[in-house]
Amino acid sequence: MGDQPVSSLWDQGTTKTYQIPINHLDYKFIENCTDVKHLEKILRILRSGEEGYYPDLTLFCEKRIECLAPGSRALRKDKPPASACDFTTEEWEKINDEMESWVTEMKEDEYKIQFPVTETLYERLDNLPAVRGLNSCLHVGQSKENKGRKEKNIPRDYREWDKFDVEKECSKIDEGCEENNSKECFSINSCLPIIEKSIETTGMTKQERNFIANREKEKGNEAFAIGDFKEAVTYYTRSISVLPTVAAYNNRAQAEIKLQNWHNAFQDCKKVLDLEPGNVKALMRRATVYKHLQNYQAAIEDLTKVLHVEPENAIAKKNLSDIEQKLKDLDPVSEIQTKGKRIFIQDIEESDGDEERRGNGEEHKNGSGDKSKTGVLLRGKIATKSEMGNVQKKFSSKGDGCMSERQKKRNYTENTVKKGILEKKTPEHTPDHEGEVNGYLNNGKKKNENEVKETTISNGTESSPAGKSISNLLLPTAAKLKSEGNGLFKNGQFGDALLKYSEAIENVINSGVQSQDDLSILYSNRAACYLKEGNCNDCIHDCDRALELHPFSLKPLLRRAMAYECMERYRQAYVDYKTILQIDSGIQAANDSINRITRTLIAEDGPSWREKLSPIPVVPFSAQLRQWDGESFTSESKQKKTADFRGDRQSEMNSENSEERFKTLKNEGNECVKEGKYKEALMKYNECMKLNSKECTIYTNRALCYLKLYQYEEAKQDCDRVLQTEDSNVKAFYRRALAYKGLQNYQASVDDLSKILVIDPNIAEAKRELQEITQLLNLKSEVGASSQQKQRKKIKIQEVNESNEEERRTSLSEDAVINYQVAKEEAENSVPLKISEKLVISEPSNAYEFGQIMYAVNAKKDDAACADLLTIIDPKKLPGLLSNKLEGDTFLVFMRALGCHILGKDPGLVYQHLLYLTKAERFKVMLTLLSKNEKEQVRQLFDSLSKKQNHQFSVEDLENLKRVYAL
Amino acid sequence: MSGAGLLEKPQVIAHVQQSLNYTVFECKWVPCSARLLCLGSVPRGTGVIQLYELQSGRLSLLREIEKAKPIKCGTFGATSLQQRYLATGDFGGNLNVWNLEAPEIPVYSVKGHKEIINSIDGVGGLGIGEGAPEIVTGSRDGTVKVWDPRQKDTPVANMEPVQGESKRDCWTVAFGNAYNQEERVVCAGYDNGDIKLFDLKNMSLRWETNIKNGVCSVEFDRKDISMNKLVATSLEGKFHVFDMRTQHPTKGFASISEKAHKSTMWQVRHLPQNRDIFMTSGGAGSLHLWKYEYPAQRSKKDSEGVEMGVAGSVCLLQNVTLSTQPISSLDWSPDKRGLCVCSAFDQTVRVLIVTKLNKV
Repeated sequence: MGDQPVSSLWDQGTTKTYQIPINHLDYKFIENCTDVKHLEKILRILRSGEEGYYPDLTLFCEKRIECLAPGSRALRKDKPPASACDFTTEEWEKINDEMESWVTEMKEDEYKIQFPVTETLYERLDNLPAVRGLNSCLHVGQSKENKGRKEKNIPRDYREWDKFDVEKECSKIDEGCEENNSKECFSINSCLPIIEKSIETTGMTKQERNFIANREKEKGNEAFAIGDFKEAVTYYTRSISVLPTVAAYNNRAQAEIKLQNWHNAFQDCKKVLDLEPGNVKALMRRATVYKHLQNYQAAIEDLTKVLHVEPENAIAKKNLSDIEQKLKDLDPVSEIQTKGKRIFIQDIEESDGDEERRGNGEEHKNGSGDKSKTGVLLRGKIATKSEMGNVQKKFSSKGDGCMSERQKKRNYTENTVKKGILEKKTPEHTPDHEGEVNGYLNNGKKKNENEVKETTISNGTESSPAGKSISNLLLPTAAKLKSEGNGLFKNGQFGDALLKYSEAIENVINSGVQSQDDLSILYSNRAACYLKEGNCNDCIHDCDRALELHPFSLKPLLRRAMAYECMERYRQAYVDYKTILQIDSGIQAANDSINRITRTLIAEDGPSWREKLSPIPVVPFSAQLRQWDGESFTSESKQKKTADFRGDRQSEMNSENSEERFKTLKNEGNECVKEGKYKEALMKYNECMKLNSKECTIYTNRALCYLKLYQYEEAKQDCDRVLQTEDSNVKAFYRRALAYKGLQNYQASVDDLSKILVIDPNIAEAKRELQEITQLLNLKSEVGASSQQKQRKKIKIQEVNESNEEERRTSLSEDAVINYQVAKEEAENSVPLKISEKLVISEPSNAYEFGQIMYAVNAKKDDAACADLLTIIDPKKLPGLLSNKLEGDTFLVFMRALGCHILGKDPGLVYQHLLYLTKAERFKVMLTLLSKNEKEQVRQLFDSLSKKQNHQFSVEDLENLKRVYAL
Repeated sequence: MSGAGLLEKPQVIAHVQQSLNYTVFECKWVPCSARLLCLGSVPRGTGVIQLYELQSGRLSLLREIEKAKPIKCGTFGATSLQQRYLATGDFGGNLNVWNLEAPEIPVYSVKGHKEIINSIDGVGGLGIGEGAPEIVTGSRDGTVKVWDPRQKDTPVANMEPVQGESKRDCWTVAFGNAYNQEERVVCAGYDNGDIKLFDLKNMSLRWETNIKNGVCSVEFDRKDISMNKLVATSLEGKFHVFDMRTQHPTKGFASISEKAHKSTMWQVRHLPQNRDIFMTSGGAGSLHLWKYEYPAQRSKKDSEGVEMGVAGSVCLLQNVTLSTQPISSLDWSPDKRGLCVCSAFDQTVRVLIVTKLNKV
């Protein structure tokens, strides 16, 4: 430029400071100079302005240095703080908004919580470690070496030079112990620090927990970043112990993967997926775990799920193809390979997001080269043993750790080690077998594809016969569009399916035909597409519309719930799931989600979380029935089962008439109840209702199932329905009473029970229940609202007892309660519970069970049952089983049972029982309370016993025993 | 100005500036809030504590408390999040613990040192560090004392020079290694460049070194983990990063040093959310933001087969100049990543936002 001729004039001069030739201050020289030090000098001269002011040249020089040595100190300039002009408007606004919202948030928290000093705080203070050893004093001298090295310290006084010798003496002593110390410490260094795995959180406020959990997680992340995975796991564990979060579990999973603790990693992934189904990172990690555990199918499933959510996820794609490759290679387990060798497979994964990690495989091989080998070599049976190469972290100089690359090296050792055939020979073998192998490969591939397809289908929407039958009613165009949409959906082309459904919807709307159901299904299907695409808002919108057209329709509800959950609008999701469960309590996904959301909500809102919920709509009965009429649903895992079941049903439908079908289903349901599978039973009964909704037994039976599943509201509804048609059904009253009890509506419960007793005053269960509930009622009125918590607990226990008892009864009588009920219904006997069946006694294992049996025996005055009981019980155990419950009635029942039933068969046993009865806790007391008549009974028993002489006891024994019985 | 490279780097924004009418020595965020404290000395020679709250881009004064002696330093380190008591050290050598809700009478008070308390640090509170809450003070009288707020009047540990030896002015103290109930160390920096590491578990001097120039500030990257790194800044504008994981019997800890500011480096503070990022404040009113990069191997065997540490490197992420006067104190918000407050001798306190720290 213009400088050129001018600078040539200064050829001979040098600069003042560094004696650099003037002509070095030149574009051309700077451009070609590679000596950073020299350039830095030039820059300093240029900046100082001593040779004149050249802003452009200075800038040029800076750029040149930056290009050669980006970290050069010469480039550091004093800079003012950044201001608005350094950012784009959006960025600036974002920064300010973020700050503003943080401040508001902080203030809200402040006012809301005001850090109440919880009572437990003081407890916590008490639990602190003791005060350090009293006033320990450490005299520290300066060591000699340090003295020697001190050359230039600014505030230094001269006295220390005078005292040099003294110090030398001191430091000598100190040095001695210092060395000891450092050695000691060194040994500490080498052993692993003991870090507590959990943190005591009693008395901490929510905010504190958050704070600490976050902190521990950050510590974990840092440890992870430098490759200290064990420590990372510890800190993640601590974080989880304070507050379980998805991120902490997820990160721990990753650390466990690094440590190759596949099982732990798997557990963590599972936790994440429980808390947040469809978490992409967790799925990816689980896939990795599966891959290493050689569960390739599962790995593929997970990766497919990932690709559903993020179709562009390159890592997932790559892993998927890797695994598929492996699977293909695995399938033809032909013994082509006769030699064992190590193969390096390199798989590259990227983890994004909060963990900011980067690392490079320590000694990674050329990927492509290896891959080509792998293809051939892996045809042998892969690896009973696989190990991961050490992963070593290396940080690159640039500071954007966001995208991290992890390169892992895996070694597979083939297990067929026979001959040492050289690697080179392998390819020669291959062509011979190629045809065969390819055949296998294709098979493998097809199988894969099928399975992938299956997964997709199981994710799919209306594929049920019922759906099709409805679509027949649609306009031809709309129906066609819909079926096209369904097809696309099954293939995973959600976007295209979405368009089809939208067209169909438009078509239906334009046609003006009132077909609400069809429209509802179309909306529901479109919602499914939106959900798959992650467009939760539109999904919710469509579900809303579908539900407007067809209230309490299961699928839109389910989808809306899932969408809400995805958007972390847990309250709405909770309400929707609850509604779903009212319609069909068998939907596992809904049950799981409810549990999960409840936890989240409790964590968020504390114990009063329910108050923040909007009311859960009560599902009309018709909706519940209709639901079972024609839609397929339930969670993914169940779907296949349901489909199978449906298939069965259809074929059965053809061969049987509906009545038979009804009976079979009912019996199946009853069977399930007997086995305690209440959910299945529930489904059976639901099926039954479709066939005949008038049978009251089904409702009472279903009510029982609901009771067992703690779904009191539903149980109550069923009972209500029975009582509408049959106003004196005792079972229904009884179960409704239990349901009311569960719902803590004690008054209603008491009412129901009194009604039972009006119908039949002899029903013992009702009496007992009435007593219990009356107690509860009193308790409630006494203690008031404050003890709600406690009461609830108590009820729960009683409910369990209740179910035990019922269970026992079910197992006792070969005809389960329900069967009994059926029999009764058939006989059209509306005054039930005159139990005519003989009790079948099983050996009680504890005092409680014994008590229950004795209770039943007493209630029925069934001496024979008591005799059975006494026959199976070992006399030695009798005192233990009786514990302190030996009453006059029981004693007399025993006497009768022994005298009338056992004496004839086994007098030895009678003697044994009489002997061990005396060892029962309340025997003496009970004896004194016996009336003359009753004593006479006992005496008679002894008399008849003495007539039946036996080798097991002598006359003297009997006389002694008589004395104990005070006869 | 907004080139791609610039946008990648963290930027330091001066969010709020607040002029004060007194000399401020220390500023601190109140944990779990958007409030901060300024501690200092008013011209008439008394101490002052001011509580400010961040409100829509400015600081509003909530409370001003005047105390008899100028207050040099303070910490929330040894208090629970529920109580949030402030521990201060003043010019008279008094250690006081204040309940800011009722600041008239200190919750704990002791005349701990004969001369000014230069530095204070706390551990065991705020969920940071296991074990008992303890406060350490370093004073011009040459002693470093550890206090337990549950014990009146006497320190639980006292580190003082041997009898007869000259007393060095202790400028800075810091807790570390508090990863379980027993372990705990105190690091102290002195005016002659000595750095001493006291092991409180064994009551011994674990390690010492000299960095030639007065040690203005020391800090562990985290207090509540097994000692990882220690940064010490010096009077001459240099700072040293020690890798504290591996101690060699004779060579001690590996370190690197870096010269940054042309003047005294007054303070070093690690980002609470990421221990490998730290900020140093300089005598010429400048702030430097650094990142420590670990070496490929953190330890190696020396010729005798003994483990010794390997130091990594530091890289400058950003630097700004805020003032012509020294920036004497610096504090990161424990709650909001990238938010920090600093005070300078130009009697100004500044709230800064450092952007993009999550991407570093």
